[in-house]
Amino acid sequence: MSSPLTLPNAGPAAARKRRILEILGAAAIAGTYIFLVLTQPEDIANGPASFSALIALGGFLLGAVLLIVAVLPGLPTSTVVLIPVALVLNVVLGQLMGSSGLPFYIDSVGTVLIAVLAGPAAGAATGALGSIVWSFFNPTVLPFAAGAALIGFLAGLAARSGMFRRFYLAPVAGFVTGILAGVVSAPIAAFVFGGTAGIGTGAIVSAFRAMGDTLLAAITKQALISDPMDKAIVFVIAALLVYALPRRATYQFPFVRRFRVLAGRTPVPAEADAAGA
Amino acid sequence: MRLHPLTALAVAGATAVVTTAVASWPVSIAVALAAAVVAMRARVGKRVMPAAALILVPLCLSLLVVHGLFFPEGRIVLAQWGPARITAEGLEFALDLASRTAACVLVLLVFSFTVSVPDLVSALAARKFPPQFGFVLASTLTLAPAIAARLDRIRQAQEARGLVLRGGPVSRFAALRLQMVPLVMGLIDDAGSRAQALDARGFGAAGPRTSYRAIEDPPGQRLFRAIALILAAVAVAARLWVSWPAGASL
Repeated sequence: MSSPLTLPNAGPAAARKRRILEILGAAAIAGTYIFLVLTQPEDIANGPASFSALIALGGFLLGAVLLIVAVLPGLPTSTVVLIPVALVLNVVLGQLMGSSGLPFYIDSVGTVLIAVLAGPAAGAATGALGSIVWSFFNPTVLPFAAGAALIGFLAGLAARSGMFRRFYLAPVAGFVTGILAGVVSAPIAAFVFGGTAGIGTGAIVSAFRAMGDTLLAAITKQALISDPMDKAIVFVIAALLVYALPRRATYQFPFVRRFRVLAGRTPVPAEADAAGA
Repeated sequence: MRLHPLTALAVAGATAVVTTAVASWPVSIAVALAAAVVAMRARVGKRVMPAAALILVPLCLSLLVVHGLFFPEGRIVLAQWGPARITAEGLEFALDLASRTAACVLVLLVFSFTVSVPDLVSALAARKFPPQFGFVLASTLTLAPAIAARLDRIRQAQEARGLVLRGGPVSRFAALRLQMVPLVMGLIDDAGSRAQALDARGFGAAGPRTSYRAIEDPPGQRLFRAIALILAAVAVAARLWVSWPAGASL
């Protein structure tokens, strides 16, 4: 019975529609990657890979937008409100790491944090949204939306399977995430930008090119060198932050309670506490 | 006349797509120059140019090093030292990609620095976009300075208690932790109370919403938008048609 004073709940039909959009989004990203690798231009000297660039941009952006449209309306408000915080943390913590003089490039702590607290769907939406929002300041991050979504999704899966219960498992999960995310993002770097934005990463790409690799192979190998290490560090920082938070803060998230993401005893619910007192 | 935010978005997106599809450096440079002129005319040149330079200078240098010196596919060798050879094809490839990226970055930056975010959010909400998207976009852009200010206050408070950034990586990391943990803790706590306030006002509810902000969408601009999108689609179709790889039969 719905009274005129309460708002109607979304029915199962809406949930099914979102599920289909989610699957379509993931399929668009996976399909685009496979297509790009199968049809990569033999000889990039014939032109700046405009065909592959358009396919990569179109397919990955479509996948990211589908994922956002599918996931976002289904998230609880407590998670939606955390997404902007995570997006700012991605940047602020990255700058903080930079200012500390530590030689790491860290830009997804917030995304991983959300994924650990609110699950893979929220992580994927945060990653994709982060790329779209930050493209207002730096449009070159926009094409990497699919890779960022993958990082959030895999971090959420790792949290669900208990990788964050033990401190030493978090970097392992980060390492694996880095491998997959690096491989998926490499075609974007190769076909859309023709290289990487850093001098250091550029030097690694040059080394592989000097050995005669194709551009995609060189950038994929470079990503396999830099990304797993970077993501392992990001996962460790996210794990340290989650451990440092009081249980009152972490256990307010249903995902943390349901999948026992963190080790230790679940705190006694407030009602039971009050009844016992 | 004010441009509807979606018209500006469609024009910027279509320009970027057409530039990518055409893939010739004179066109890319012309587009980049046109974007710079538009930025100057819109009085955002002083903000767009440094932002664009920050993005493009490292990318262009990296492209020049990677393709200028190492381009195994190149045949016309201009100079050679050991494994490094400067080839005409490599330099042309670097120029093609650098100018294309520069054009796209400038066009999109001109859009994002001139658009009014509240207008864009309400225009998107009026087109059945999930309202949460508008919230995330607007909230991130307003939270960013607030969080930076909060981090500054935390740093001052910790410095008053004797925090000094120096020493090896371990002590530096400990100092970072002293700043990160209070920041993240406070932000998650704030987000919890914001969620309750928003939920009490029906934020998470399904169903139609009304908007406080009404944005004029003249029919002329709608037509213009449609033409821009059709042009972009035609450019993409033409590029796919021309250079569909022979081996692919998907």
